[in-house]
Amino acid sequence: MDRKFFDRFDITLFLSVIGLIVIGIFAIYSATQSSVNNSGFYVKQMTFAIIGLVMVVGITYLPPRYISSLSYYAYGLALVLLLLVLVFGRTINGNKSWFYIAGFGIQPSEFAKVATVMAVSNFFYKGDEDNQKFSVTQLLTATGIVLLPAILIKLENDTGTTLVMLSFIIPMFFFAGVSPFLLFAVVTTVAAAVLAFINIYYFAVFLALLILALYFFKKHWLLSAGVFVINVIAGYSVSFFYSKLQPYQQKRIMAVFDPASDPLGSGYNVIQSKVAIGSGGLFGKGFLQGSQTQLRFIPEQWTDFIYCMIGEEFGLLGAGVVILLFGIVIYRLFTNAYLSRNRYMMLACVGFASLFFFHMFINVGMTIGIAPVIGIPLPLVSNGVSSLMSFLLMVGIGMNTYRHKDIFLS
Amino acid sequence: MKGVSWVRREAKIYVSIGVMAAAIIVLFARLVQLQVVQQQEFGKESEKNSIKKIIETPARGLIIDRNGKIIVDNRPSYTLTITPFQFDKNLIDEVASLSGIDPEEIRNELADAKGTNRFNPIKIKRDIDFKTISYIEENRDRLKGVSYQVESLRFYPNKFNASHIFGYNAEISEKSLNESTENYYRQGDLVGTTGLEKFYEKSLRGEKGSRLILVDVNGREVGAYNDGNNDVKPVNGSDLFTSLDSELQEYAEKLMGGRRGAVIAVDPRTGEILCLVSKPDYDLNAFIGSPDAKEINRLFNHPEKPLFNRVTQTRYPPGSTWKMMMALAAMASGKITPTTTISCPGSFTFGNRTFEDHGGYGSIPVVRAIEVSSNVFFYKLGLMLGIQDYHDYSAMFGFGSRTGIDLPNETKGLLPSQEYFDKVYGVNKWSQGLLVSLGIGQGELGVSPVQMVSYTAAICMNGMYIQPHIVRKIYNSSTGIETPVEVKKRQIDMSQKYFDAVKKGMYLVVNGSGTAKNIRNSDYLIAGKTGTAQNPNGNNHSWFVGYAPYDDPKIAVCVLGENAGWGNMFAAPIAAAIMVRYLSGNSADVFNENVKMEVND
Repeated sequence: MDRKFFDRFDITLFLSVIGLIVIGIFAIYSATQSSVNNSGFYVKQMTFAIIGLVMVVGITYLPPRYISSLSYYAYGLALVLLLLVLVFGRTINGNKSWFYIAGFGIQPSEFAKVATVMAVSNFFYKGDEDNQKFSVTQLLTATGIVLLPAILIKLENDTGTTLVMLSFIIPMFFFAGVSPFLLFAVVTTVAAAVLAFINIYYFAVFLALLILALYFFKKHWLLSAGVFVINVIAGYSVSFFYSKLQPYQQKRIMAVFDPASDPLGSGYNVIQSKVAIGSGGLFGKGFLQGSQTQLRFIPEQWTDFIYCMIGEEFGLLGAGVVILLFGIVIYRLFTNAYLSRNRYMMLACVGFASLFFFHMFINVGMTIGIAPVIGIPLPLVSNGVSSLMSFLLMVGIGMNTYRHKDIFLS
Repeated sequence: MKGVSWVRREAKIYVSIGVMAAAIIVLFARLVQLQVVQQQEFGKESEKNSIKKIIETPARGLIIDRNGKIIVDNRPSYTLTITPFQFDKNLIDEVASLSGIDPEEIRNELADAKGTNRFNPIKIKRDIDFKTISYIEENRDRLKGVSYQVESLRFYPNKFNASHIFGYNAEISEKSLNESTENYYRQGDLVGTTGLEKFYEKSLRGEKGSRLILVDVNGREVGAYNDGNNDVKPVNGSDLFTSLDSELQEYAEKLMGGRRGAVIAVDPRTGEILCLVSKPDYDLNAFIGSPDAKEINRLFNHPEKPLFNRVTQTRYPPGSTWKMMMALAAMASGKITPTTTISCPGSFTFGNRTFEDHGGYGSIPVVRAIEVSSNVFFYKLGLMLGIQDYHDYSAMFGFGSRTGIDLPNETKGLLPSQEYFDKVYGVNKWSQGLLVSLGIGQGELGVSPVQMVSYTAAICMNGMYIQPHIVRKIYNSSTGIETPVEVKKRQIDMSQKYFDAVKKGMYLVVNGSGTAKNIRNSDYLIAGKTGTAQNPNGNNHSWFVGYAPYDDPKIAVCVLGENAGWGNMFAAPIAAAIMVRYLSGNSADVFNENVKMEVND
């Protein structure tokens, strides 16, 4: 094919995505081959991967106007599905987030992620000029657009996906043109609370860095002092409220940050997954040869803990390639956002890049013991049709952005 | 412009990609640490020491009667297991003949378990005998992968069934496993499925414990992880201290014999249930160990529905036992006074329909009407009351709603109201004539025996309505924690005069010239009311509700005989015998002394 084709078709993004899916299918096969009930999972994943990739190509060629004008409808549909699943949904592993239609499990919350990013992009989309001014009401409305589905998902008892919903607010606001200082104040306040909770010394170092950063912002001294005070209050109030909790509640919160404190619950999986990945070494034990994973010490190793499988059987090489491929996918989504003259597409790409990044970092981080254990899948790799299709939907819109990067919407 | 409040898109991209790159470097660094620096350490651990969690099931709580006697106990039993990883399939036939199971069944069990850990033993058959265990022990080396576990199973040291009280435990169904949100049960767990076992499942089951053990690459146990410091001891289940009287239960079951029906006796002062019988019943042992599938199928498909608790789950028309309710409602709503007389000829005509009575009684007051069980008197009361008062006063005595007995799936019964008839027949499409039959406890009215006994108890206690219950106390002997049992009580707001009139009528039923003269007892004054409920599906149902002693009630009883005919022939003698038995300290047996007399409603 000629250069012109690749000028319009983001082959790097497309091939990286295919690479992740292929690795995923091998890992799912390996994780389930000794099981009678689940041994068909990889066939199902493969079938939907092919359908999904066709869908990606289809979306690439859609006029961008269609996509933006669908935003609110998609969002409305997502809300209706989330409400329906609350009433009629089926409970699996304690989460009431599944529909069963003709034997297929469907999770509306996966679709809701894409639809919410589209809705926020559309809300901020007022012509293709960068850095517009937003009123407080507008910012609150945009936050509300995200919180509404997030609350519904929380009601389904799916905390992991709820946190995912909150992951793209800051990046999207940042790119939409909301004052960096305001975002900085919000982000540091959350960080202060978390750090003060984990370790008081981290908190002290953090406050020192905060003073430095505030100096560089060169805002009025009263404003800077205000942000500093809010941070200090956030840090102290967390410790205060934590000490007021019942011991069993404290234990539950501790287990999220320090799995080793709960070796029978989430800690058990982390101990096992660290052993699996660590024992993989440089080149791994070989396909289907992982003793930890083949002996099923890790539950649900074809979904949330699939990265163990890759780490044990393909070693640092395989585990590194997966992170690298994610790096390329996220990098491409950001560059497409940068290149686009279309502000809606720019914002959507930023939202999707954030989703990919958050999922990848938390999921991989949890299996290697540096992130809290939150049950969210590894995009494109974990077994699961709803998750696979929703991430491919994002890839499709990313590809579309690249193809139509020179077209203004307004 | 002051400070950085306006940022170009390039800058934002640099910031974002910078953050991402930093995060990826962190992940890489950690991977290198685990897979290169610590590889040897983890490699060894994965070869030798993998941690496995073993679940330990606690002993289920016991059930104890009012005198401290254990009536539901546990006994140890052996469960034959096969661990697929070590098991040689050529041994299937030998294991089959050893345990007496069809070899096909073992193959199916092994095939079903393929989705789970191959190192986990699969339960093949519960409750195998000791001879089999010795054989397995002797041939340990040859029978690789064949083993057994000790489990505790239910044991009933009784001369009675009480099947509907205790209920049975069964392996948890896949449906409840998926629907459970607490992540406690696992496949193969026994869970309370009916009766007290189900109602108090959370108290009885206790809390599972777990041990972490180190296993080698072949799945063999090497030792305890972290010296057992992370192990959690199972907590045994709590015991249920019930108000049941074992001897009375045995006596009541014997009296009911092979008949269909229900018996329930309570202490009216406390609402405590003394005995509860639903017939036909069944042997709970059929559900224990490896349940006998044929027997269980027979029970589930039996036309007489032995698994059904007729005391709490079935509704019947109450017939003449309803007349005290009508009398109280009519007096409390001011339609009549205790001395109002109503003319009671041998029949009553409403519209173009004539309703019969067993005799003419002249002009009589309410006490006499209960004594002789006049139908015409209560036909007229039904009409006087109207549907609104009929419904509201009956609801005060717990009809149309659950009593709150501590057994699962209690029926609300059926208490008709204006809305109910409007819904069934259409607004203005039904006539007041329906109230005529309702006045004598016939028609679209359904009550359960537990509702009837609670109503009787409330009458003899002058309006104190107490939630009937079996469990008095839940106590965990290993933790020393007692869980209180809440019993709801309420005083029905009615004048004492009305209760006195109704109680007087019930006294005369037995001790005057009433319908149950045959059960009069010289030692204990019994008060009560017979009922013979017509029923479109066969013979009449025989009812009796009553209490004793008349002046200081200690027991209230309701007996129902399905299709057993007249109230005074079947139900009354059984009820009287149970009351006398209980009051005499479980010694007197007056059942055969009840002279059979002329049939009466």
